[in-house]
Amino acid sequence: MAEQIITGDTLEKEFREHSVAEFFKRNRQMLGLYGKVRSLTTVVHEYVSNSLDACEEAHILPEIEVKLEELGPEYYMLTVKDNGPGLTRVTVGKALGQLLAGTKFHRLIQMRGQQGIGASGATMLAQMTTGKATKVISGTGKGKAFACEITIDPKKNQPKIDNLHDLDKQFRGLMVQAKFKDVLYRESSTGPMEYLRRTAIANPHSQITFVSPKGEKTIFKRTAAYIPKKPRPMKPHPNGVTVDEIVTMGHATAGRKVSSFLKTDFERVGDTSMAKLQKEVKFDLNKDPKQLTWDESEQIVKGFKKIDFISPSTDGLRPIGEARIKKSLESIVEPEYIYTLTRPPKVYAGGFPFQVEIGIAYGGKAGKGGNGDDGENATKQIMEGENEAKLEIMRFANRAPLLFDAGNCAITKAVHSIEWKRYGVKNLENVPLTVFVNLISVHIPYTGTGKQAITDENDVVEELRLALMQCARKTSQYINAKRRELESKMRRDMFYKYIPEIAHALHEVTKVEEKLMIDKLENLVLTKLDLEKPELEKEHDAQKKKEKQEEIKKFREEVFGEEREEVKEEGDD
Amino acid sequence: MPAANKKKVSKIETEKPKEIAKRIRSMSEDIVKQIKKNTDPTFITKQRGRGNVEFDEKKGIIELGEKETTRSFLNIAHTKKFLQTMLVTAKAYDYLNQNKTASIREIYYELKHNIKGTKENTFDGQHESDSCLVDLEHAVDTIREKLNVHANPKGTLYGDITLMDRKHNNDKFNCLKLGRGGWSIMSRMEPNEIEIKQVNAKYVLVIETSAMYERLIEEDFAKKNKAILIGVGGQAARGARRLIHRLHTEKNLPVFAFTDGDPYGWYIYSVIKQGSMALAAHSTFLACPDAQYIGMTMEDIKTYGLEAVTEKMKPGDIKRAKEMMQYEWFQNKPWQEELKNAIHQKLRIEQQALANKSLEFVAKEYLPKKIKNKEFLP
Repeated sequence: MAEQIITGDTLEKEFREHSVAEFFKRNRQMLGLYGKVRSLTTVVHEYVSNSLDACEEAHILPEIEVKLEELGPEYYMLTVKDNGPGLTRVTVGKALGQLLAGTKFHRLIQMRGQQGIGASGATMLAQMTTGKATKVISGTGKGKAFACEITIDPKKNQPKIDNLHDLDKQFRGLMVQAKFKDVLYRESSTGPMEYLRRTAIANPHSQITFVSPKGEKTIFKRTAAYIPKKPRPMKPHPNGVTVDEIVTMGHATAGRKVSSFLKTDFERVGDTSMAKLQKEVKFDLNKDPKQLTWDESEQIVKGFKKIDFISPSTDGLRPIGEARIKKSLESIVEPEYIYTLTRPPKVYAGGFPFQVEIGIAYGGKAGKGGNGDDGENATKQIMEGENEAKLEIMRFANRAPLLFDAGNCAITKAVHSIEWKRYGVKNLENVPLTVFVNLISVHIPYTGTGKQAITDENDVVEELRLALMQCARKTSQYINAKRRELESKMRRDMFYKYIPEIAHALHEVTKVEEKLMIDKLENLVLTKLDLEKPELEKEHDAQKKKEKQEEIKKFREEVFGEEREEVKEEGDD
Repeated sequence: MPAANKKKVSKIETEKPKEIAKRIRSMSEDIVKQIKKNTDPTFITKQRGRGNVEFDEKKGIIELGEKETTRSFLNIAHTKKFLQTMLVTAKAYDYLNQNKTASIREIYYELKHNIKGTKENTFDGQHESDSCLVDLEHAVDTIREKLNVHANPKGTLYGDITLMDRKHNNDKFNCLKLGRGGWSIMSRMEPNEIEIKQVNAKYVLVIETSAMYERLIEEDFAKKNKAILIGVGGQAARGARRLIHRLHTEKNLPVFAFTDGDPYGWYIYSVIKQGSMALAAHSTFLACPDAQYIGMTMEDIKTYGLEAVTEKMKPGDIKRAKEMMQYEWFQNKPWQEELKNAIHQKLRIEQQALANKSLEFVAKEYLPKKIKNKEFLP
C-alpha cells in the first residue's frame, strides 16, 4: 500500500469527516455521557423529556413506555414509546439525526432538559458503540404511520434515513428503538428506574411505564389530568445581562437606536431608566445598536448596575403546584405524611426569576431503603434510632430530576444546613424522610457543564432554606403529635402489660376473680392517662404558639410577599 | 398499716406462721379493696437506705428509722416493683401454707418468667426479688426467716456446744465431734429450728478467714481455751450473725472478733457488733453490741515486730477508712486513733501475717495473751 501523502486538502477532508463524531467523542463528558450507568440514564432522559415536551406542546396527556433489554454484557436495547403528536417524514430526520439541531440556547424560558445531548446524541451514541441505526415508528394519528432507520452522516451532520416505509395502520405517537454498548443498567439512585420514578413525581400529568432488563414492569400512574401551561419566554432583565449578550442582541435587534433597543428587548427598561443610563455612559444612546462596541456595552452593563430596576416579572414561571406534588408523592413514594409548599416567585442576582417547590414525605415508604413499616413502628424506630431508612433528597430543576453530583448542589447543601433536630428529626441518617425540591427558573444557575448541580447562589440558597424550614416546621408538628400519641400509648402499655400478672398474684392470695381486677386496673390506668392529657396539650399549645411567632418573624424579614399565595390552577388551554 | 413499733418487734420471734400468713392475706385484701374502689392500689413499707438508718447509741445498734414509703401501682417508677412485690407476696404466702422453705435464690428462680406479650422478665436479677422480699418483710412486719425464706448459708461453727435440729429428727450433736470442719451454720438459725442445748465455753471467737479458723482448730485452740469458734468467711451471713447474737443473749457468752486489720475487716466487726445498714430493721435480732475487737491492730505491728509483713493500703482502702472514721459508732477515742493511725501509715495487716512469727504463735501466744489482758478495741 502506497504511503499516503498528507496535504492540506486531505487534512481538511479528514477534519470535516470526523468533525461531528470527534466533537461528540471529545465532549462526551460535557454531554453527560461519561460513566456506563450515567450514559444509559442520559439517553433515557433524552427520549423521555422529548416525549414529555412534545405531548405538552400538543396538549396530550403523556403516556410513555420505556423498555430496556439486555442483549449482552454492557449491551442494551432501549425502546421508548409515547402517545405524542409523532414526527412526520420531514421532521424525523432533524429531530433524531442532526446534532445540536433543536437549539434551546439563549432563550430565557423555563424548560426541562437543558442538560444532555438531545435525542440525536442518542442516535450518535448508538451508532458509535454498536454501528446500528436507530429504529423509529411514528404516526400523527392521521394517515398511515411509517417506520424508518436513522443514522447520522458524520461528515455533514446530516440525517441518513433508510428503509423508510409506510405501515398499514393508524398510530399516533413515536416509538424509538436504539442499541447501546458500553453502558450498564443498575438499580441505583442514578439509574434509569430512579430517573423515571422521579420524572413521574415531578410530572404528575404523565403516566410512565418501565420494563427493566429483568422484565419487571413498573407503572407510575398519572395523578393529575392536566396539561401544564406553556412557560412564557421572557425578555432579559437588565440586572442579569452580560456584555457579550448586549453586543450580540444589539446586532440582531430591530431597534434603530440603542435606547429603543434596550427598551424593547429588555424587561423593566423605560424612559426614566434610559435618562438615568445616559448620565452613566460616555456615548449617545441614540446610536445605532448595530455599531455598539465592546467598551460601550461594558458601560451599559456598569450603568445598569447603578439603576434601581423593578424586579423582573415572574409570571413566566410554571410551578407544579402544592396539591399536585402532594398527590404525586402519595402515589409514588407512599409515605405516611406529606407536606408540600410552592413558594412565591423570587429573583436571584437581581435579574432572574425563580421559584422553589418543596415536598416533604415522612414515614411509610419514604426515605432511602425504608422498610415501609406503618406509622407507629416508624415513629418508634425513629425514637429509638432503629429505622433503616435514610434521608432521600430528590432534586429537580424545572421538573427534570438531577441525579448526579449531589454533593456539589445547593439543594443538598440547603437540606443539610437545616437544624433538623429542632424539628423532631434526631438523626438525618436514620429517618424515613424524602425531601422533594423543585427549583424552577428561566435560567437555572447550574454549577458547570454537567448541569446536574445548582450553584450556591445566595438568594437561591436562602430561599431554599426558608422554604425547607417552613416545611420542616409543619412536619415536626406531625412528628411531635405522633410521638406524643405513641408515648401515651407506650405509657399505657407499660401499665397494661403488668396488670394480668398482678391480678393473678392477688388472686392466688385472695381468690378474687382475676378478670374483675384486670378490668378495674385497666380503667384506672386510662383515667390516669386522661388526666395527664391536658397537661401535655398545654405544653404542645405553648410550643405551637412559639413556632407561629417565629414563622411570622421570618416572613417579616423577607423581602417578598408576606403570605403564601395559592397557586392558580392551570387549565387545559 | 403495719408499722414496726417496739412491742411488735418483741413479738416477731415467737409468732406462728399462721399469723404471718393472715397478715399477708389482709395486706393483699387491702389492695384488692382499693382496686374495687377504683383507687390507685398501694401498700406501705419502710423506707430503706441511709436516709432512714439511725444509730441508737444507747442500744449500740444500727436501727431502721420510722420513715415509711408508699409503693403505688400508678406511679410509673413503682409499677414494676409493685408487680414484683405482688409476685413475691403470693409466693411467700404459698410457702407458709405449705410449710415449705426456700432460699432467696430459689424464690428468684421460681418467680422469674417472661411477662406475657413482652420480651420482659419479671425479674432481671436476684437483687430485684431480694429487695421485694425486704419490702414485704416490712410491709407485714416480720423477718425473712418467718416468711419461710432464707439466705444462702455461710459460716462454720466449732467448739464444745450441743445443738438440736428440730427440723431434722431432733438430731442432737456436739460441734466438737463433727470433725475438723465443724458444723455448717444454717441460713435460718431460729430457736424453733435450731436449739442451743448446752455450751461449755467461756467466750465466742468470730474469725474472718477460713484459713485462720482451720489453723486454730489444728492447734486445738477451742479445747485448750474453752472457746467457741465461728468462721464467717468474710462478711458474716445472716445465719452466722443470728447465731452470734443468740450465743451472746441466750448463753451470756462474750464475743470477740478477730479480723484482718483493714477496712474490710473493721466493717465485718462493725456489722457483727452494730448491725448493717441493709438489714438495719433486724439489728435487734442480729447485732451483738457487746462484741469486742481483738485484732489485728496497728499496735500489734509494733508489739510483735510485724513491720515486714504489712501491706500497703490502696487508695480505695484509704477512702473507705476515712469514711468509717465518720460513722457514729466509731466515734470513740480508741477507734478514731486506730483508724487515724492506719490512714497515716497507709498500712494494713492480715491475720495470717502472724504466721511470720510461727504457725502456732496465734494460738499459743497472741490470742490467749490478748484475751487474758483484755487488750480489746471497743
